[in-house]
Amino acid sequence: MKKFDFKEVIVPAVSLFLICLVATALLAVTNRVTAPKIEQLAAETENETKKEVLKQANSFSQAKTVTLDSKVYTYYEGLDSSGKLIGYVFSTSAKGYGGDISVMTGIDGEGVIKGVSILSISETAGLGMNAKNEDFLNQYNEKSGALSVIKNGAAKDNEIQALTGATITSNAMTTAVNLAQSLYQKVGGENNG
Amino acid sequence: MKIFFSILLTAILTNNYILSKFLGICPFLGVSKKLNTAVGMSAAVIFVMLLSSAVTYPLNTFLDKHDLGYLQTIVFILVIAALVQLVEIVLKKYIPALYASLGIYLPLITTNCAVLGVTILNIDNGYSFSHAMINSLGAGLGFMVAMVMFAGVRSRLESCQVPKFLQGLPITLVAASLTSLSFLGFTGLVENMFA
Amino acid sequence: MAKQKSLKEEFTKGIVKENPVLRLVLGTCPTLATTTSMESAIGMGISAAIVLVCSNIVISALRKVIPQKVRIPCYIVVIASFVTIVQLLVKAFVPSLDQQLGVYLPLIVVNCIILGRAEAFAGKNGIVASAVDGLGMGIGFTCALIVISAIRELLGAGSLLGHGILPFPAMTIFILAPGGFFVFGLVMACANKLAEAGGGKKAELGGCKACPMASSCEKLAKGEDCEKEKEAVK
Repeated sequence: MKKFDFKEVIVPAVSLFLICLVATALLAVTNRVTAPKIEQLAAETENETKKEVLKQANSFSQAKTVTLDSKVYTYYEGLDSSGKLIGYVFSTSAKGYGGDISVMTGIDGEGVIKGVSILSISETAGLGMNAKNEDFLNQYNEKSGALSVIKNGAAKDNEIQALTGATITSNAMTTAVNLAQSLYQKVGGENNG
Repeated sequence: MKIFFSILLTAILTNNYILSKFLGICPFLGVSKKLNTAVGMSAAVIFVMLLSSAVTYPLNTFLDKHDLGYLQTIVFILVIAALVQLVEIVLKKYIPALYASLGIYLPLITTNCAVLGVTILNIDNGYSFSHAMINSLGAGLGFMVAMVMFAGVRSRLESCQVPKFLQGLPITLVAASLTSLSFLGFTGLVENMFA
Repeated sequence: MAKQKSLKEEFTKGIVKENPVLRLVLGTCPTLATTTSMESAIGMGISAAIVLVCSNIVISALRKVIPQKVRIPCYIVVIASFVTIVQLLVKAFVPSLDQQLGVYLPLIVVNCIILGRAEAFAGKNGIVASAVDGLGMGIGFTCALIVISAIRELLGAGSLLGHGILPFPAMTIFILAPGGFFVFGLVMACANKLAEAGGGKKAELGGCKACPMASSCEKLAKGEDCEKEKEAVK
């Protein structure tokens, strides 16, 4: 057995350790600086999206939670200028082609969808990413009840025209919106009745 | 059970790591000339993917718990590098036969983006531990399927007359394009199968 | 080799003669994955270039301190730190880019160009030369990405930088995976043709030699390639 060579083992180990230490410290500092900014940005996006999907609301309540099938979802109550409850904004997600698609859905007191907007999406560029287009999103407006996706022909009242070549994305979007409607049933039901 | 198969098939066919996510292109182009090297490389990748997912998943939970999420990248790549070294040493010492066939590919895997990619995507997709392992297995198997198929394509290419300006890498890429086109045919298959 | 070269040469070689994507065939994964739109390609190019310059500078500065034995892990730590810094900055200031690049942003860590330059250049050369080398390589990488993404976005989405300009429907296949390989192949063929006209060599996969881990690969040290049967292929 060779003699344990102090220099051969300890020096590389210590220097690697030191470099790791410095790197970690550097990252901690960067994180300190950027973390609040990232949080603030996320909050801003959410705020803007909320206003977009429920335009008639003047202000929104704090985030509330609702449980459906033992999963917890976040929602906001939309209030008009006199503080009366006029609708809800639900945050839901569904699995698309390239990962989860997070969606915000605004539903008014009557249970009619007032707007749908995407919080995060990572679908195929040029296909699934077209879900961000207004032409697609506007299809959801003024609809209510369980929605389904069709590929051909004209869409009926409770149908959504699928994006070309991105049926999975369209399905995921519709699943997320339908989930928001189920949540509305639960929340609205509790409050109204 | 259904979801296991759905994740597995998605990772192998519709979301193939090489052909639709573009992860691990270097070995795909570099080590796919011969069938046996392609198989050896893929076997090593499957093994390392499973092992590193098994280690990084709980580590990420630990990092998240202590608000150290920003260290994810650096921790993951170091863990993968260390694991690869460890596996190499263990194989060399205890299973020399396996080392002889897989050993030479191991150092290449440290910087293989498919391995780091699968560990990060496991977290990003919010998989549970068992789903993450299935996804890693699927990613590895998908890697193997693509490598083996492409090795076959390339061996045919060798005996073809290719226009001069396309010879070498360009025609290889065009062949990869067609291989990837064939995988595009699986789009929607898994969803409809388990719908 | 680098001793006699002037700084200007170090800079320009990365852009043309030793373009990392089209000549050295490094960093193929991000090249294919992020060229679906010019916007994401430029974002990826710049992020990678920043990481490359910073890591080149630091590694070059530390080259006398880092023990030979653990240099690869040390390089990886340095690179991974810069990648994370860039990742956090992008998340904080350009969130739309973060969404577009997704997992490919942290994957800059394993971009062979960066580790490759650390090993081949920064670990052996001075700070200024390394910085210039990194900048040149980074710009070369970005340029290659821009060329490929311009073709793909124009044909596949009918737009450039998000502005629709094609009067006829676009061929979506070009922004899907097969189109990526295809355009990359053709751009590579053009680059080969140009290089040939300029008296250069064709781009070829260096096999193991292009791999940043080459130096730690025993087989290669013995003069064998991973593709040991290279000559056997007829």
